[in-house]
Amino acid sequence: MIEVKHLHKSFRVHVRKAGWLDAVRHLWKREYRVVEAVKDVSFTIEKGEIVGFLGPNGAGKTTTMKMLAGLLHPTSGEIKVGEYVPFEQRAEFKKMMSLVMGQKSQLIWDIPPMETFLVNKAIYDIDDRAFRRTLDELVELLELEPLLTKPTRSLSLGQRMRCELAAALLHRPAILFLDEPTIGLDVHTQEKVRRFIADYNREHQTTILLTSHYMGDVTALCDRIMIINYGQLIYDGELAVLTEKLAPYKRLEVQFAEVPNVRWEDYGEVAEIEDGNVVLRVMREKVAEVSAHFLQHFRVHDINIQDPPMEEVITRAFQEEVPHGS
Amino acid sequence: MVRKYVALLRMKYIEMLAYRLATIVWMTGAITQPLITMAVWMNIDPSQSDAFFFYFMAVIFVERMTSAWDVWELDREIREGTFSNYIIRQLHPIHWAIAENVVYKLLFLVILVPIWAVAALFAPALRFDISGGQLLLFLAAVLLGAALRFLLSYTCGLLGFWVTKVAAIYGVLEVISLFLSGRIAPLEMLPPFLQQWSIFLPFRYMIGFPIDIINKAANGDGIMKGFVIALIWAAVFIIVLQFVWKAGLKKNQAVGG
Amino acid sequence: MGKYWRMFREFFRACLVEELEYRSEFLGNLISSFFGIGIAILTMNIFFYQTDRLGGWSYADVLVLLGVFNTLKGLIDFALRPNMPRLLEHVRRGTLDYILTKPVDSMFYVSFRHLVFWRLIDVALGLGLVVYGLAEKRYFPSFVDIVVFFITMAAALVLIYSLWMMLMTTSFWVIRIDDLSFIFDSFFETARFPIGMYRGWVRVVLTYVLPAAVITNMPALSLLGKWNISTALIVGCLAVVFLWLARRFWRFALRSYTSASS
Repeated sequence: MIEVKHLHKSFRVHVRKAGWLDAVRHLWKREYRVVEAVKDVSFTIEKGEIVGFLGPNGAGKTTTMKMLAGLLHPTSGEIKVGEYVPFEQRAEFKKMMSLVMGQKSQLIWDIPPMETFLVNKAIYDIDDRAFRRTLDELVELLELEPLLTKPTRSLSLGQRMRCELAAALLHRPAILFLDEPTIGLDVHTQEKVRRFIADYNREHQTTILLTSHYMGDVTALCDRIMIINYGQLIYDGELAVLTEKLAPYKRLEVQFAEVPNVRWEDYGEVAEIEDGNVVLRVMREKVAEVSAHFLQHFRVHDINIQDPPMEEVITRAFQEEVPHGS
Repeated sequence: MVRKYVALLRMKYIEMLAYRLATIVWMTGAITQPLITMAVWMNIDPSQSDAFFFYFMAVIFVERMTSAWDVWELDREIREGTFSNYIIRQLHPIHWAIAENVVYKLLFLVILVPIWAVAALFAPALRFDISGGQLLLFLAAVLLGAALRFLLSYTCGLLGFWVTKVAAIYGVLEVISLFLSGRIAPLEMLPPFLQQWSIFLPFRYMIGFPIDIINKAANGDGIMKGFVIALIWAAVFIIVLQFVWKAGLKKNQAVGG
Repeated sequence: MGKYWRMFREFFRACLVEELEYRSEFLGNLISSFFGIGIAILTMNIFFYQTDRLGGWSYADVLVLLGVFNTLKGLIDFALRPNMPRLLEHVRRGTLDYILTKPVDSMFYVSFRHLVFWRLIDVALGLGLVVYGLAEKRYFPSFVDIVVFFITMAAALVLIYSLWMMLMTTSFWVIRIDDLSFIFDSFFETARFPIGMYRGWVRVVLTYVLPAAVITNMPALSLLGKWNISTALIVGCLAVVFLWLARRFWRFALRSYTSASS
């Protein structure tokens, strides 16, 4: 469905200095520097796959996704989405894909989401029956019924995101690009959005490429992930393999009333110890046992078990130079 | 106060540089309307072309030097709630506006005076011959005109605490002033009843009056009278401004920004 | 074509809903429209206080011209002006990406998505003034006059649209857009008067380079029965050329947008 070969993208960034004299000098002369945002990226995505696209801020995720959506022209390399070259911006191509950006809204602020849906209906040439059917399905899955007629500005962030998804899916795209779809949402809504994406993918075999900061998004949705850092693809393969290999542990944070005098190495790898606060990396299969042990034997104020943060996994992936794919 | 003003002026100067393109665009934008009106008058009375040329060039110059945009700024700031940032500081917000006006108008001056000088080399119609005293009177009238327009615009802007469409209200005033300030026609070309109105309303003193001085269209007596009327209007505006400001603050405290 | 007409209707409907959401009052808009046209007529009266011909046009002729001007201005304020600040928003916030991923001509979308239908009052008042001017002159246009009027009016609209679009496209590079519509307004102001009023190179510029005067003068002359077919054809061609230029410029801007932003 998506085929990318040796993709490169570089930008010319314009350097601006603050200051009295520089502002004046700036009138005549502008300085530029070239930034390589994406370097030699290649991958293939099959129909119906959900692929997680991970990396820290500024790693090149969004740039790559924009090139796939035809919004950016690659500096070099080849992209094929379906049978189209995205940058040609053919109407047929646009009809088969859709884009949702968590930080940018396509809904119109002052009017109800339904109005945006109707405008999209006209834009995508959706006939009345198909529109009704799709809308009914989306309204049910996303529980939109009470939201449709409220002005967008009065919706909460989570409600708005559900409407964004509906607006993007009305024309039943074969490919969906999701850029940080759960950003800023509370845990409960994140969960809802994830479940919807998973269900929708199963139902319609939609190919989904998802970028996110949240490990949770990825673990809930994707079998396959790609990690990009400094513009380079450093991992492409099954999520399970990566976590097993790089992050076979969980982050266990314990707040003791009084830090006990024990050998932490017996429980896991020490990440930090500060005052009464101890953070350990504990192997997944031992987490339950270790935390039970702490709770039984010591006075514990608080205990918190988490997946290792994204950045940590990526840094490790980068350091250990995991071989591509599986 | 001086130190504060130095800081304010410096900040406004930097801000202006950031918008330099917009500033240039904005300067040229205000030129067309008087030029078109000039073309109309030249067409109506070709024999007076040189006089009209001088008159409307002076309109452009004085109009730029006295122009006021504060109503739009205030309207926006009050609506978006950013005006509160100024209210909470101990310095009266009008000083920001004054500093901005000073910076922009100095820029206009620095640009327009040399242009006039160079243009006068090629176009004899632009040369004028007046005494130093008259020039001082002219400058004083321009300054007074700038103050009048600024005060009117700022006061209107403060009405934004009560009404949402102050820009529209000010727009109506601007249009009225178009006729009475001498922008559509030199005062003596207007029908007599409009001439009379313009003497007693403030608008003429924003643009037409300084030009009458440099044009020698007004005699000593008329100049005296003009300054007196203009100063009375300035006093009225200041009193109204203070009243509106205080009432506005109260209103703002009551309902929140 | 049918699709774009459907979309335009959809835009209109959505904007109606949006406008009613804000309950912007009918009366205020009505007053401002009447005020605008009243002032324009008053200005003409001041000029005609000193003369009885302007650039070779009589008072009644100028009223017809003013009517055409008001109609066109109303149409600009109805469809084009509301979209200018929104395009800027799209560029700055990056929501232009959504428009570019839609199967619709992006130039069409950004120029017609938002409509302020109140300004149709200006259009109605302008047409009313045209009729009044003709009545004042006691001239009843022939069928051919009216046909030529519609042709030149259509050309005028295309010309205005193209010039406006070119200006709007600069919002990819220029930050403060309100200053930009200012440029357009000042240039369009020249169209309020008979072109014969301008002299020398100004007339040449306003006829061929920035065809402001042509935009209003041609339709008004057609209605007054003073058209000539070759100038009408030239205006038509000019409109096509400008539309082509505007389109090229838009494409160029999009290219630089899509290859520069991050």
